[in-house]
Amino acid sequence: MLGKTLFLLCLASALSEPLCLKDTSDGYKVRISIKTALGDEAYEWNENEMFLFRATLAFAMRRYFNREDFNVSSILVCDETPRVSFWFVVVSPQNASQLIDKADVENAIRMSRHRINSAFLLTDSTLEFIGIPPTYAAPVNPATPPWLIVFGVVMGAVCAGIIGLLVSTVLKKKGLTEDENDEEEAQDKAVENGIACEDLDGVYNRAFPDDERLTKM
Amino acid sequence: MEKNSRPNWDNPMQFIMACVSYAVGLGNVWRFPYLCQMHGGGGFLIPYLIMLVLEGVPLFYMELAIGQKMRLGSIGAWAAISPYLGGVGFASVVTSLYLCLYYNIINAWSFWYLFHSFQPVLPWAVCPVNSNLTGPLEECERATPTQYFFYRETLNISPSIDEKGSIHTGQALCLLLAWVMVYLFVVRGVKSTGKVVYFTATFPYLVLLVYLIRGVTLHGAINGLKYMFTPKMEHLANPITWINAATQIFFSLGLGFGSLIAFASYNEYNNNFERQAIVVSAINSGTSIFASIVTFAIYGFKATINYESCLERMRLLMLNGFDLAEDTINIEDVLDWMVKLNSTYPDKFAGLADRVETCSLENELNTAVEGTGLAFIVYSEAIKNMPLSQFWSVLYFFMLLLLGMGSMLGNITAIITPLRDFKVISRNMSNEVFNGLVCLFLFLLGLSFSTPPGNYWFTMFNDYAANFSLLFVVLIEIITVSYIYGIKRFEKDIEDMLGHRPNWFWKIMWAVVSPLLLISLFLFYIINYIQGGTATYQAWDKEQGKSVVREYPVYGQVFIGLLLVSSVSCVPITALHAWYKKRAHGKRNRQRTINTVSL
Repeated sequence: MLGKTLFLLCLASALSEPLCLKDTSDGYKVRISIKTALGDEAYEWNENEMFLFRATLAFAMRRYFNREDFNVSSILVCDETPRVSFWFVVVSPQNASQLIDKADVENAIRMSRHRINSAFLLTDSTLEFIGIPPTYAAPVNPATPPWLIVFGVVMGAVCAGIIGLLVSTVLKKKGLTEDENDEEEAQDKAVENGIACEDLDGVYNRAFPDDERLTKM
Repeated sequence: MEKNSRPNWDNPMQFIMACVSYAVGLGNVWRFPYLCQMHGGGGFLIPYLIMLVLEGVPLFYMELAIGQKMRLGSIGAWAAISPYLGGVGFASVVTSLYLCLYYNIINAWSFWYLFHSFQPVLPWAVCPVNSNLTGPLEECERATPTQYFFYRETLNISPSIDEKGSIHTGQALCLLLAWVMVYLFVVRGVKSTGKVVYFTATFPYLVLLVYLIRGVTLHGAINGLKYMFTPKMEHLANPITWINAATQIFFSLGLGFGSLIAFASYNEYNNNFERQAIVVSAINSGTSIFASIVTFAIYGFKATINYESCLERMRLLMLNGFDLAEDTINIEDVLDWMVKLNSTYPDKFAGLADRVETCSLENELNTAVEGTGLAFIVYSEAIKNMPLSQFWSVLYFFMLLLLGMGSMLGNITAIITPLRDFKVISRNMSNEVFNGLVCLFLFLLGLSFSTPPGNYWFTMFNDYAANFSLLFVVLIEIITVSYIYGIKRFEKDIEDMLGHRPNWFWKIMWAVVSPLLLISLFLFYIINYIQGGTATYQAWDKEQGKSVVREYPVYGQVFIGLLLVSSVSCVPITALHAWYKKRAHGKRNRQRTINTVSL
């Protein structure tokens, strides 16, 4: 059993040379930025991590097609760079020389993107599939925009202030006119020299110069 | 009798607070730092302080003296000084009207930003996603999220001034709130204004202090401060520096609008306004310098952040383009690596050339921005990068609101006071109704600034409505006081109020230095306007994601002309009217005497 799988694996890898190429039209380039994402807690990228990647991708393919036949061997990887970037293609589990369509691969990855990211403690921007843009979360639209609520509060306070001031002015005026009426009834009319008090406006002519310091006689 | 006695400030401190609140406004926060940056950093202080002494304080003193002596608003005061020059007051009122119209729009924007700060993520921090959820909106991608939020979501700006559109409801609501708040503060006239100015004058200083502490502790703030304080003395040789210093003092103190005359008219007759004039002018200039320290600290922070993110982008570009391991290039080595890679793999580097940017801290610091761009775009960009950005955002826009409201109080008082001096209005309408009508009228007119091209009309008003007419008004004012009314009479009035005559310094300033300065400023403006060619404005191009320069259409230029002429022409029209009335009056007198003689 073990011998057979090993033989198949070697065959697969021997045949995969031409299938997985840099800039292939049926695969995707992956770029991983572990140090940017995790800083001091970054892990080393090695063969084990690559194995996990291939396994996660196989999981994504299984989930998308709803079949249980995809395996780590279905995911072929090439052109690894020190950047930690590489190309991969997915071959069909039944026929090792047939590649899975690019669109299907993309949809599969899109469906399980979050799971793939979580497996590596990375995000959409640190585990990049070049050519597959990340799906953004739908914008949250609350029923009343929050700014309108704050606006309502402030507007209410200001209007209450104005109404308060106006009402107190009106009350003050009513209070005053009642007092004036009482006074007038008590004293008849306030009159000075036959002229009512309100008409005693003089207008001070400010343009007329005041006395000169040295008056000319 | 209570009806005819003029209301007064409760105490002289209210008057000082009102003047400080009026003079210390948005210009201190955004125009002065810009001028400092444009004209050689710390060296700009020299022409600024010289102009303050030669022009600012004497003119401020003069306006306070007139207001306190005449105890009338600008129209009545100038008519009393010389009947032919009552038009100066009208010109002031018209200019204040224009100012009130567009100034409150800025308060509306401050409200808008303030209300939008109450969210877990500031809306100008990230680009909104497009409809198919594949990426950020294109317009936002080409510009920056802060620019997008300002031009698209706040203003919904059109590509040019010619487009028509419907009013932005959010803007209209904020403008309504701004006017309602102004009404609340002036509803009882100086009695209500006097209480509010305590808050609007002092609270901004508290915020500036908090921001100063936050600002200087920000990463990279020192770059901005160094940039500001290294004086570049060669700018002093440039006459534009001196002219800008003079104009800044002039507009910063709010001379010529009639607000100072209006405020001073509510003073006690013997109030010592000489000391107050010096104190308020000093506070105003001190605040400008203080605010520019804060601005430059924040500026340095923003420039450093932008520079570092540019370096980070370049680092990623090099790593990805050449497939090097992540830790080969650090952020400090990026520029060296770029040079190395360019020399070792020139072809491959050339392939990346379209995405390569030159990262320069100097360039970032050099991008001088003033006006609404500084306040609403640059500052909000800096704020979004600070930890606890919602708190800093609320604090900042609240401060902007207070500064703006404080100045609005002065502007609206400059309209209300002289109009209320007309018996026709004060007899028939109560204070509250009249003030309400003025606010309502200005609000309805101001709604036109919330349409898509509204921001271009706003810029037009901002650039043309006040500058020229103010220079004209203050020039006429100083010449009237010094030569038509006479320095001797003015001296005596001051002695009457203060108990001592103004010393020789003031007299020389009023009679010689300030008029000369103003005449040269006035001539410079005219020459600049004529030589400048067709007036242009900055339009926001959504395709490119940046501002482009466009010329005003014909009707725009006509409107600019109207703005300039409408306020300035008040002076000759009133002079002619007064002269005509005098002649008619004289003729009638002569006719009467002839009739009696002939009997």
